Amino acid sequence: MALPGIVSSPLARRRPIASRARAGRSRLTPYIFISPAMLLLIAFGVFPIAVAALVSLTDMNISGLGDWGNVKFIGIANYSKLFADPSFWQALGNTAFFAIIGVPSVVFLSLGVALLLNRSGNWFYRSLRAFYFIPAITAIVAISLVWGYLYNTQFGLLNWLLSLVGVDQVQWLSDPTLAKFSVALVAVWRGTGLNIIIFLAALQGVPNEYLEAASLDGAGEWRKIRSIVIPMLRFAIFFVTVTTVISWLQFFDEAYVLTGGGPLGATTSVSIFLYQQGFQQSQFGYASAGSLILFVLIAVITVAQLRARRADIEY
Amino acid sequence: MRILTRVIAPIAIAGLALSLAACSGSSPTAATAKDASGPLTVWVMGDSSTNFQKLVAPFVASSGQKVDVVAIPWDSIDQKLTTSVASGSGPDVVQIGLTKLRSFADAGALLPLDDKISAYPDLASDKFADGVGGAATAVNGKIVSVPWVSDTRVLFYRSDILAESGIAKPPATWDELRSDAKILTERGKGKYGYYIPQWDNALPVEMTWAYGGSVVDSTGKINFDTPAFQSAVDLYTGLYADKSVPINSDFDQTQGFVSGTVPMLVSGPYLAGAINAAAPDLAGKWNITTLPTADKGTSLFGGSNLGIFKSSKHQKGSLKLLDYLSKSSTQLDWYKINGELPTAKAALNTPSFTSDPLVKVYTKQLADAKVLPLIANWDGGVGTNLLKALNSIALTNADPKSTLATFYQSTKGLTAK
Repeated sequence: MALPGIVSSPLARRRPIASRARAGRSRLTPYIFISPAMLLLIAFGVFPIAVAALVSLTDMNISGLGDWGNVKFIGIANYSKLFADPSFWQALGNTAFFAIIGVPSVVFLSLGVALLLNRSGNWFYRSLRAFYFIPAITAIVAISLVWGYLYNTQFGLLNWLLSLVGVDQVQWLSDPTLAKFSVALVAVWRGTGLNIIIFLAALQGVPNEYLEAASLDGAGEWRKIRSIVIPMLRFAIFFVTVTTVISWLQFFDEAYVLTGGGPLGATTSVSIFLYQQGFQQSQFGYASAGSLILFVLIAVITVAQLRARRADIEY
Repeated sequence: MRILTRVIAPIAIAGLALSLAACSGSSPTAATAKDASGPLTVWVMGDSSTNFQKLVAPFVASSGQKVDVVAIPWDSIDQKLTTSVASGSGPDVVQIGLTKLRSFADAGALLPLDDKISAYPDLASDKFADGVGGAATAVNGKIVSVPWVSDTRVLFYRSDILAESGIAKPPATWDELRSDAKILTERGKGKYGYYIPQWDNALPVEMTWAYGGSVVDSTGKINFDTPAFQSAVDLYTGLYADKSVPINSDFDQTQGFVSGTVPMLVSGPYLAGAINAAAPDLAGKWNITTLPTADKGTSLFGGSNLGIFKSSKHQKGSLKLLDYLSKSSTQLDWYKINGELPTAKAALNTPSFTSDPLVKVYTKQLADAKVLPLIANWDGGVGTNLLKALNSIALTNADPKSTLATFYQSTKGLTAK
């Protein structure tokens, strides 16, 4: 450490003032370039989280919002109340259930569909691509209306079809266990579109030479997919998995519009629980504490995934 | 045209200011209440803004005070309240559903009206139906709103189907209703006797009132742990145990009633409108009557009040508007335009109004009706927990004792008023 210092210091001393200033500027340059993004991140990412952390230590509610004098600092009382709240545990359990069902379904389904769609580029396959992407860009309100009618117990298409084969009315959204699956199915259906596009894009990056070489070696379709395509898609699979895990941990839209978190709280995810506490009951302090716990959970799970990825082989 | 408004507007404003100054000069108590110029902003619930604009047109014409009506969807009122309280910029007059009244008052959003309404005879507490006037909707002893429209719950029944099943008249007691419902359920597969909306948190309270109980104790605390509530739970879950009610949460009550799947249910005036819209030819085959009784027949006094936002710069104009809206003639006009029942006693007793057979039942029921306890977040808090407890007993066979104990625990320490 000392050696380069001795060697360089006379050089540095001899360097003219102007060039030293230029060196300073060049050291600053990267920070200037990232500053717009950093400022946005701080203003809309870090700052709100800091505010939420602060609010989570208070009993902030609607009367506190009107008059700051009504807000009291209550330490970690919100957190201890949260851990004693059966509804919060139910919401955590539901979220875990949705993530465990949803993430593998979305990843495998999108990958499978993308591999099939990639087999040809003719007009039929191209229109199929659009077809699979439609759920991802359709407004959630329209989706909820259509699926709400499909699932309806009295007038729903699904129950009508089942009645043709003599099956009794199924309580798609009214039975607490079945409702979880019904809601998750809509979310899977909606979540695959974008991921199929990501996988299709990644599939363009698989060099044809590898596949041709494998064919010459006598590898079959299945062998090529398993030994060449999937390994080449590693990063895409990783990316899709990480983003899908995050979105399922924040699961909200489909359950909110289809069941409102019911029946009997069976589809209340953590996000819906927070929405109910914060915006329907105006318990801002309590909801902030919950949102911070959700944030930490997502951060821990994502960091764990990133760590696991480090050991990966690069091609 | 432009020049015209440019010239006339300042003159009009100056004139308004002068007339206001003259007003305040004559009554020293109101010396500070000098209104800002510009239109009054009124938030009305639902999608009735066009109708409301029509209703206040005579007021605008006679007072010269412009009124801007903004329709707020029912399910976004919580966010609207939060943002208006946080930013300190709300409307001038706001329509408040009675179950939300306490939240608005707790937020400090509403102007206390006790000393202000004395100048307006039509706003006096005794001018309104007893279930909702004055102390009935005061929060912490302060009047923060005046009654506007009323709503209640009555028993809807299909007279034709009841007659076919040999039931001569609608059930007068809950016991009769339960046995009639059993008979009607026997009509066949997919037929039921009664319908319990799984989202209706007022029904269990009405049942508790029917058994002579209350959900608020003498000290003003919420208390469900009473024999009357226990009887209500037995009735509520008993109807499910009899298999007399549909169990799916997405059951459509209008369709169910029109198709005859459920020939009896407890609902409000809006259902009558929905039935008439969906099946006008069903007229004469259905009717309504007051709620079944046990010890009493007390029903829900629902509806909305009107309040003035504390931050309003148009307090005087707002009070004048409230005064106009509380007049019997205005409220009867509103019933004609929008179908919502009045709250002013004079309007409720107008013969031309009560000559309608349905209205007759509504007004009779309103005379024996109470508001839900005025606690913050009735719908999101106690109401939700109440339904969750009852429905989990009725639908998922949860243990009644422990489920209710958890529910009682969740309401501890809540005070109505």
